[in-house]
Amino acid sequence: MLNHKRMWALLGAAMAVAAVLASTAVASHKAGPTIVIWTDANRAPAITKVANTWASTNGATIQVVQKNFGDIETQLGTVAASDAPDIVLAAHDWTGQLAANGLVVPLYPSNAVKSQFPSYTLNAFSYGTAVKKLYGIPVQVENIGLLVNTKLTKVPTSFAQVEATALAFKKKNHLAYGLCVQQGSGGDAYHMYPFFSGLGGYVFGTNSAGNLDPSNIGVANKNFLKNASLIDKWNKEGLINSKVGYSECDTDFTKSKTPYWITGPWADSDIEKAGITFKVVQLPRIVYPSVPFLGVNGVMVTKFAATHGVDAAAKDLVLNYFSTPSAQTQLAAAGGRAPANLKAKASDPILAQFGAAGKGGVPMPNIPQMASVWTDLGAAWVRSTKGSGAMPAARSFRGAAKSIADKIG
Amino acid sequence: MATPAPTAATFRPGLIARAIAVFSGTVGYIIKLVLLALANALVAWAIYVLIDHQRWPALAIVVAATALIDWIYLVPHSWALPLKFLIPGTIFLVGFQVIPILFTITIAFSNYSTGHILTKDQAISTIKVNSLEPPPNGRQFDMAPARDSSGKLVLILHDEGSGKVYVGTEKGLTRLPKSAVTLDANGVPTSAKGYTLIHGAELFQLDQQLEAYRVPTIGDAALEPQGTQIAVELKPTLRYVPKRDVFVRISDGKVFRDNGLGSFVSGEGQSAEELEPGWKTYTGFRNFRRIINDPLVRGPFFSIFAWTFVFAAACVFFSFSAGLFLAIALDKRGMRFQRTYRSILVIPYAIPAFLSLLVWAGLFNDDFGVVNRVFHLNVPWLFGGQVFSWLPFISWPRITVVLVSVWLTTPYFFLVSLGALQSIPDELTEAAKVDGGGAFQIFRRVTLPLLLVAVAPLMIASFAFNFNNFNNVYLLTGGGPYTGTSSLAGNTDILISYTYKLAIASGKGSDYGLASAVAIIIFFIVAGISGFSFWRTKSLESLS
Repeated sequence: MLNHKRMWALLGAAMAVAAVLASTAVASHKAGPTIVIWTDANRAPAITKVANTWASTNGATIQVVQKNFGDIETQLGTVAASDAPDIVLAAHDWTGQLAANGLVVPLYPSNAVKSQFPSYTLNAFSYGTAVKKLYGIPVQVENIGLLVNTKLTKVPTSFAQVEATALAFKKKNHLAYGLCVQQGSGGDAYHMYPFFSGLGGYVFGTNSAGNLDPSNIGVANKNFLKNASLIDKWNKEGLINSKVGYSECDTDFTKSKTPYWITGPWADSDIEKAGITFKVVQLPRIVYPSVPFLGVNGVMVTKFAATHGVDAAAKDLVLNYFSTPSAQTQLAAAGGRAPANLKAKASDPILAQFGAAGKGGVPMPNIPQMASVWTDLGAAWVRSTKGSGAMPAARSFRGAAKSIADKIG
Repeated sequence: MATPAPTAATFRPGLIARAIAVFSGTVGYIIKLVLLALANALVAWAIYVLIDHQRWPALAIVVAATALIDWIYLVPHSWALPLKFLIPGTIFLVGFQVIPILFTITIAFSNYSTGHILTKDQAISTIKVNSLEPPPNGRQFDMAPARDSSGKLVLILHDEGSGKVYVGTEKGLTRLPKSAVTLDANGVPTSAKGYTLIHGAELFQLDQQLEAYRVPTIGDAALEPQGTQIAVELKPTLRYVPKRDVFVRISDGKVFRDNGLGSFVSGEGQSAEELEPGWKTYTGFRNFRRIINDPLVRGPFFSIFAWTFVFAAACVFFSFSAGLFLAIALDKRGMRFQRTYRSILVIPYAIPAFLSLLVWAGLFNDDFGVVNRVFHLNVPWLFGGQVFSWLPFISWPRITVVLVSVWLTTPYFFLVSLGALQSIPDELTEAAKVDGGGAFQIFRRVTLPLLLVAVAPLMIASFAFNFNNFNNVYLLTGGGPYTGTSSLAGNTDILISYTYKLAIASGKGSDYGLASAVAIIIFFIVAGISGFSFWRTKSLESLS
């Protein structure tokens, strides 16, 4: 057996080795300004490439950390300052939550930069209860549209035409729905928004300063309720069916069983693989223009950048580099979405069609109170479009409005 | 289980005993040393990280705990022997049970939620930054940091509006002749006569200086660098008065006071104005009072509680019954393919519940699901209402949730019952047979009571698990369908999924404080029920 002295020496040696390793790790960690960026796996290679181009001319180091996209929002609030990112890729509807938490800092791009973006994309990243501040530079935009299989039918010009064609295919192919749009038991207010806006619905109104007002809930406003009986009609004739999910639409559309599908650019690859020729348009006007929700992704500078001593560098990268047309073209191509910068070009013609389908669209409300809306609005659609035993739409949406108001308090 | 009895005259120790013998000599000692050295190396690295992050209390605890562990495992005192066995378990108990519980309790007494995650100092400085606003006709400049002849940091500025160029110092703006400065295509200065522009790495060394750099203009407005190429003229709209700990709005003199709940607020009730962000602070029993007083929580609480109880009890009862039935059926001696059957039955237990739940949600889909299609049924499994008009409590979605949960838990009870059945001595059932008992009577009077002695505690544990079976409900039905007009409590929502909706996806974002408070209450409910059940099962133990 080993004696005690040798044993302690052994332990000591092991600790010394660890100490040396640790000190080199710590030392390398401290050299030069390092900017930490959180992004999702999809766009990580493009972000790395673009950011490194900037870094190589400025003598900075970029460290890209991959996250689940949704985790970026939640983890930014709980991460220790030492591990925190300086820049995050973010969805615009997180803006309110992140700004109210004090996690992201206001940005002031030059007028030359601002003029390169559609004003709604900058609005989407602006938040403030009294005065709006810009918290992110838009990178890419996305929205849903009506996908039309042009082999089966021509591009519709009126909602009545959509309705008639959809119901004809429903009958012919014994489908459970006419127009394919995903909901499922949890509901999907995002995909139902074109119908919602087409009937006169809105989520939050704006106050005199032009900011979203959480006390003005338009889920059951007068104009919408006047048209709500149309939902009951659609439910009765089976035009829309809340039991439909993404997979049913994917299967039936790629097998040419249904000519219409309301979805976004993420469905592209499946459809193209199946060899379907299709066009993307905005759902034709119902009573009001049937506009979709608009989603904008962008980059934000966190409050941690100042703690890490890279605030100026991070702002520089975001304001003057991620915003440029060339960077935006690369980033958008990686995500399969249209770039936000007007001068950047979406090479894909389908993306251009999606862009046109989003005309007049409404950015998803970015105030934190939106968290109360998704479930209720989705549930209202599920209740009133579930086929037999469905609740009259007017009652269903009035209930949702009350429930949302109760939760916001 | 079965210990081989040494019947032969020559003693041959079992495999485990031989293994212990091998490892208890020098080999074992070296293994121990290597493991300890590895643990110490890990700690040495942790010490560096903790010093780097300046976590002093954590550092002290780590060092003390490591020294204690080394000492216990290396000092050959006989009284230290029990500690060698207790220490590893204790460390895991503290790390994975005690600390999370303490953490949950502290959160329950705080206002930790969206808008309340910073410290007060951080919140104050963030409010100050957010209160900056461009003044009317506020100017925006293209900027290049530079050094003047004496080496001091200055800003070369190009007004985007008027096109005039300036040099900005901490004293103010000074006009420069246009010919002295060259601009690039974006209007950013690239050189200035008499000044050396700062580029690249050196620029980023100045980060903190740049961030704090102010070029005063008119009144309390100042130019602030934003990044390294832009400076914006900004003016505070709020002033913080440290002495009184209040914010004062400069335009109308409105005072925002610390409301004790982690926010600066002015006014009361509907007209109250709150400054964002707030900060995290301890708010006493406020979250618990909200649970009692808030109609949103209180309203559906009892109906959800009743359903949660029935759900958990039904899951345990049916899966135990099914598991026991299968165990008895497969316990028959001499059955062919017995192992194959048993393996097949365990499969649901081996698949991650996340996957199987999503698959079941698809199978049970009312219109497209395999279940309805194959059996030519028209049962509204996920979206339906009550099954019997006279018993509104039982609905199709509730049946679906229980069915799937039973499918998931049955293999567990099958395994447990199989083991327990084999441990019941044959003599007992044979004696009962001799006494003239029928098969059912023997099962009812002999087998079941003996079985329950072993299985009852596991049933209680399973009840507690199902009471909080969030995945099952959330992945199958999302708590829906929503039968009433309110979308707060769905038909299949159990307490934990309702809590999730209430605390994480409602109001103004997430309310971790409220969620923790409800979690603590659920803990007491489950602990109460389990404690009562354990107390009752003591009567079973008197049988053996």
